[in-house]
Amino acid sequence: MAAEQKQKVTQKKLAPHVYQALEDVVGKRWISEKRSLVETYSKLSIEGMTFVRKHRKDDTAVPACVVLPGTTGEVQSIVKVCNRYSVPFIPFTNGQVFSATTNDQPTLIIHLSRMNSIINIDTDNMVATLQAYVDYAQLQAEAMKHGLWNGGTPLATTVCKLSSQFSFAGLWQTDLKYGLLNRNLVSVKMVLPDGKILTVGSRCLPKAGDFWEYGPGPDLLGMQRGGAGSNGIVTEITVKLHPWAGDTTLPEVPHGRPSLEDVHEPKYDSPPPPANHRLHWIEFKDFSSQIKTMRDISHSGIAIGLNATGVYSAYYCSQTQEMTWERCKNKFFPDYNCYVIIAGITSAKQIDYEEKVLQKIVERNGGTFLTADHKPEVLEALKPWNLDCIRHTCGFRMNRKMYANAWLPTGPFEVGRQTQEFWSDALNAFGECDITDRGGADDTPFLYALQRGRFSFAEVDNYPDPTNPEEIQKAAGYGIYGMARLVKEKVCPCLMAFLSVEPFTTMFPEVGPNQHTLFQKIRRVFDPKGVNAPGRQVYTREEWENVPPMLKQWVNKMREMVGLESVQ
Amino acid sequence: MTVNKSGKKVFEKELEDYRDQVWGCARCNWCQNQWGWSVKSAEFSEICPAFHEYRFFPYSGMGKMHIARALIEGDFDYADAPELAEFIYTCTTCGACEMNCQRMQDKEPLKVNEALRARFVRDGVGPMPEHKNLINSVKSYDNPWMQPRTQRDRWAKKLPVKDIGKEPAETLFFVGCTTALDASMSQVARDTASILLKAGVDLGTLGKKELCCGSPIARVGDRETFIELALRNRELLNNTGVKEIVTSCPGCYRAVKHDYPEVPGAAALNFKVYHTVEYIDRLIADGKLTLSREIPLKATWHDPCHLGRHCGIYDAPRNILKAIPGITFVEKERNRDQSWCCGGGGGARTAFLDFAQRTAEKLIDEARRTTGAEAIVTCCPFCEQNIGDVLQRTGDGMKLYNLIALVSQSIA
Repeated sequence: MAAEQKQKVTQKKLAPHVYQALEDVVGKRWISEKRSLVETYSKLSIEGMTFVRKHRKDDTAVPACVVLPGTTGEVQSIVKVCNRYSVPFIPFTNGQVFSATTNDQPTLIIHLSRMNSIINIDTDNMVATLQAYVDYAQLQAEAMKHGLWNGGTPLATTVCKLSSQFSFAGLWQTDLKYGLLNRNLVSVKMVLPDGKILTVGSRCLPKAGDFWEYGPGPDLLGMQRGGAGSNGIVTEITVKLHPWAGDTTLPEVPHGRPSLEDVHEPKYDSPPPPANHRLHWIEFKDFSSQIKTMRDISHSGIAIGLNATGVYSAYYCSQTQEMTWERCKNKFFPDYNCYVIIAGITSAKQIDYEEKVLQKIVERNGGTFLTADHKPEVLEALKPWNLDCIRHTCGFRMNRKMYANAWLPTGPFEVGRQTQEFWSDALNAFGECDITDRGGADDTPFLYALQRGRFSFAEVDNYPDPTNPEEIQKAAGYGIYGMARLVKEKVCPCLMAFLSVEPFTTMFPEVGPNQHTLFQKIRRVFDPKGVNAPGRQVYTREEWENVPPMLKQWVNKMREMVGLESVQ
Repeated sequence: MTVNKSGKKVFEKELEDYRDQVWGCARCNWCQNQWGWSVKSAEFSEICPAFHEYRFFPYSGMGKMHIARALIEGDFDYADAPELAEFIYTCTTCGACEMNCQRMQDKEPLKVNEALRARFVRDGVGPMPEHKNLINSVKSYDNPWMQPRTQRDRWAKKLPVKDIGKEPAETLFFVGCTTALDASMSQVARDTASILLKAGVDLGTLGKKELCCGSPIARVGDRETFIELALRNRELLNNTGVKEIVTSCPGCYRAVKHDYPEVPGAAALNFKVYHTVEYIDRLIADGKLTLSREIPLKATWHDPCHLGRHCGIYDAPRNILKAIPGITFVEKERNRDQSWCCGGGGGARTAFLDFAQRTAEKLIDEARRTTGAEAIVTCCPFCEQNIGDVLQRTGDGMKLYNLIALVSQSIA
């Protein structure tokens, strides 16, 4: 076997008595420390540093053991074992976005894949309670049978678990009307890092039911959400439901279903919108008129979703990597655009009315609708969005290489302009990794209107070659430069929790200021033994001392590049 | 960083040829789940039988990508991970992971797993011991069931089918090992031939000279044996002078139509390849077959993976079912490209019978609960064996039909 010539990566193991204690909790079938099995939990999706660690043959990237609990009680017992023996643990669902990474101690992965049931849909009170592994597609499918839905799916696809997205507050494509996931929570049940169970919201009062996320007393839910998974393991989550205007299932693509022989034919990606929903695409001559129109639409009260995709549609709506590159190069999609999702929630007349309002706003601001007469080929190519706006599937099409990192600045609509400027500077400073990196720099960044336009979310991403560690590091450089620049310019650098993840929490003390000191106190309260997703949100002094000096130097270099002082 | 761009054919690609793909796995988990637009319920939202059963990532397409990456880079070897074969061979090769991953990221987790299997065989750590009997049988008897060659045309007794070695015919019926040699399946061969003859097809067979198509061998990773078989078959079939070949088994269909062109160094096929369902669908559409006898039955269609997801034949069997008087056709929740595998393919049934049968139980459960059907209809001998065994063992009242049998009954 040729691989035998290469350097192996040795797996650290749990002590046999620890393994046995865990096996006693879940049974033999649901625990494993097999070498090839733990490997599949070792490299994360868009966590560039785990790629670098894998290229360096760093054995700290490999977990020691994986355990699959089936109930909150089992999660609690596992966590207690971890506390008893000081075993660090990482809760895990897909491992797609920003799961915590392993460290130099033998680390346990608590994979929640068995906890995949919808516990209850309360149609009277319009809430649903889910186990941790339930994803958006499952919830939507069940809620739609009752004329309800949860209000949106995340950019990162419908297989994202709500309990995971809770860790980052959660972005949806229909935030214009429904707000982020964090505005749609009613309750969570968590196993805290010390093994206690925390239930927040009105359900923490016996028989009170699920109706109010804040009460009683101090807002412990707010303290946990967006916590990057550092303060416990969510085992149940209760979310709000909203009226659904469509049918009980989503419509079929009229051209049928693909096979492996023709899966890349665009015709299979051309669904109609759901019943009683319409999608309108508008292009603009410049960024200013785009922003002005988006603000006007937001303020008018019409529509459930409003987003600008810019050149990102080249990734979302292309069926092959070549097509993506071609469309980026040739600017097939309009530089300045947005789409509007209109739903007839109350009646069909609602759609007619809102379309009239939309027409007037667009006309006033000089926008042009994409129609059968105006750029029909572009409108046709954008059809994947017809269902993606409701149940997002295509987001990670951009990820055919590697989705190394992203900037997600938030703020008023003008944040899009700043994102564009800073991203261009970053690419000019470091050089692009891929033609698609220019998306968001030369053209419109991703720009989502949130909560009636009170704020917006911009996004730019980059795509290095995952087999090339130098490119990955370069791409990581954009990300750190971006954070430094956004902090320097006092632009809110994160929608979710980007600056609440180490080493950035500590290395950007301007945020807060000194938010890391608050997080350290919170961690000491909730995680006295420092075992939960260790060092995820904030390092202890000891953990900080173990951070490779090179990483600190690297962040400091970026700070200096943008005119911030080094952090010692 | 895209698929199929190396210039190599599938059966000459080494695991290392997939290096860029396996490093780039985004852990999006579409390999385990139905395509998002198609999800109709929480319960039936998953699509990978092995992950659904075992719940650990190595059983999923994504897990195979990560294992492949580690093996390519030498992070561990077989001695460190004796469990590897179980992860690699519980896959039913249903292709659901590949379908959704190609659609999402232009990557090929199934082909990666097949490259893993090929490497295991090359290095002597695969296939599973149970597969070796099957391979040895093909080598000795030209079929995987250890049946003498003389038995291969026994099904055709008293049927006026031409022996293509003795007299020319326009259409060759490629019967397939299981249909020809398994006594419980051979009625399908007789029905198929009778139907085609009735429609006026100039039909012949290879008789005792028919060889295994090699599909089961390819799926478990023995490339050397498969390539040898493919080359023999291509020469044999090209020399028949037929214009078209009709196969009864979806595995044969996929092998002849799509795998043989991916074998390096062989001549092109000089005939067209059809599966019986698409051929019969065309005969009905052309008015050469009339289905007139009523069969009162509420029935659902199970898409065999090698026919549907792999080759795109979704509509033909549905058209036929709908054309049979008396049949009420009802669609399972997961269907076509998102159909739930029966568990019988890829060598999973041979090596992991319990898992394969639990997968079939889930299929039967879905069929009953999402359609209210009284019968599952399919047209793959492997699906029939696996589903049929479960129905027999459990005493389940659900009926199971081969579509050809229903067509045969319905012909006036």
